[in-house]
Amino acid sequence: MGLSTSKLNEDIILDHDLLKSHRRLTFEEKRILANRVMKKHGVAGVTLHWVNAISWFLLIATGVALLSATYLKFAPDWYLDMMEGIFGNKGAMLHFHIAVGIFWVLTLLLYGVFGFKNYLLDFIKHDLTLDKDDIRWFPAKVKNLMGKLSNYNMPAQGTYNAGQKAYAVIVAISTIALIITGPVMAFHIGSITVIQWAMMIHFVATMSVFTGVFVHVYMAALFPEERPAFFSMITGKVNELYAYLHHYKWWKEIKNEEHLFFKEELQKDGILLPELEECKNIKDHIVSAKVYNLEGEQL
Amino acid sequence: MSKYAMVIDMDRCVSCHACEVACRSHYDVPVPYYRNWVHQLRPEGVYPDIKKVSYVGLCNHCDDAPCVKACPTGATYKREDGIVVVDKNLCIGCGLCIDACPYGARYINPDNEKVDKCDFCVDRITHGEEPACVATCIAGARIFGDLDDPKSSVSKLVASGAEQNVSDEVNVGPNIYYLDSHNDFPVVKAAFPPKVPHTPTPQSMWSKVLRPLFWLAIGGTFLGQFAAFAAQLIKGESEVKE
Repeated sequence: MGLSTSKLNEDIILDHDLLKSHRRLTFEEKRILANRVMKKHGVAGVTLHWVNAISWFLLIATGVALLSATYLKFAPDWYLDMMEGIFGNKGAMLHFHIAVGIFWVLTLLLYGVFGFKNYLLDFIKHDLTLDKDDIRWFPAKVKNLMGKLSNYNMPAQGTYNAGQKAYAVIVAISTIALIITGPVMAFHIGSITVIQWAMMIHFVATMSVFTGVFVHVYMAALFPEERPAFFSMITGKVNELYAYLHHYKWWKEIKNEEHLFFKEELQKDGILLPELEECKNIKDHIVSAKVYNLEGEQL
Repeated sequence: MSKYAMVIDMDRCVSCHACEVACRSHYDVPVPYYRNWVHQLRPEGVYPDIKKVSYVGLCNHCDDAPCVKACPTGATYKREDGIVVVDKNLCIGCGLCIDACPYGARYINPDNEKVDKCDFCVDRITHGEEPACVATCIAGARIFGDLDDPKSSVSKLVASGAEQNVSDEVNVGPNIYYLDSHNDFPVVKAAFPPKVPHTPTPQSMWSKVLRPLFWLAIGGTFLGQFAAFAAQLIKGESEVKE
């Protein structure tokens, strides 16, 4: 589509799949956006992320050290010796690995059971499901990295971009595999053939996540463009300029909702960008939104 | 250092199973498993040329033990005195050592789901006693001792021509020797030849395909990030936000 976002007609605006990415902002717009923040993660999400991260670190550090057979092991001998020295003996290390694993599974279950409606379903729907824009993102990103496609022509992305979503899918599948295979080994569920397959699946699941975690950490901690994402995992917030440039679809969705309620305030802040004026028919855009007054009556 | 071994004198053995019972009671080995066995073979030949042979067996504490190599966690290891033992705290009961053992000397104990096998009664010999099976043998058919000591009875018997249960395909240096003067041992060897150590499908996939694959994948992502970070260092950090 050769249309620029500022000239899109209403029909196209309402079709998410055809939504083009952001446009080039003016310096003034950038300044306004950079000084505003948006909530990206709730306290539960931030907590779960760090509990998960610490558990994974401890589990991989000990798990890799437990594999000592020459034909299976992944870490060098000096690492195995070092870990054995830290734990005293490898039996204690195995028990530590199992204990941390149980803690990790219980944390995830807590989140999955009590947070099923508010967190897990939302996570599956928004962060694990790739839409058409996400599928288009992969070839576009390759072109973008080769310098053949500008950032402004990339498909618009939601809360997470397609690369992050794809990794989240790998992590989710691996997590389920680990939650099943871990107890099979720790509590000897099934015959030795079952345990032998469980070991192999446990290894594959761990290594699939381990391969990607370096990219995840590098992107968040060192890569300059994505750095606001790192701080958002502490404060839960990102600045709007980052949201606009990297997660345009998400930014637009949130602004549309805000626009519904705080139009005057946004205008006063000078945040009413042309994009929002395009989306006048807000009721069509947020199909499922229900609005209640203070007495609890639906408007 | 010592190197413990056992000689089974087949001429002396009367197939009474006392060794098996002593072992079972000492270690609470559940039926139908055993650490130590007397397998009675069917009688062979026609009267009066008839013979009945028993295969007295236990862990061979092999010099090049396939079970030690197979154990993923290092729970099975060889002590400096040559005894192959299992660290029950570290064993996960995966059974890879069972598939690797040429002599069928290992089993998963259903009481604790961990692997168990003969350890030459390591708790007894450290207190100067003989293994339970040796102490109980009424015929003195089991002789236990140190092969590194040339004056020990096992050393002398091995020098006098005691044989190991090995084949052309499988010879991992077993330390159980058999003495016999009635041509009984070939019958045992024919009936219970050492099995070729077996690696199950998931583990052979792991070592041949998956491990190299993940080394490549992790190496690849590291190289990619190294390049990206190097580019970032060359470019330097910009003063203006976006």
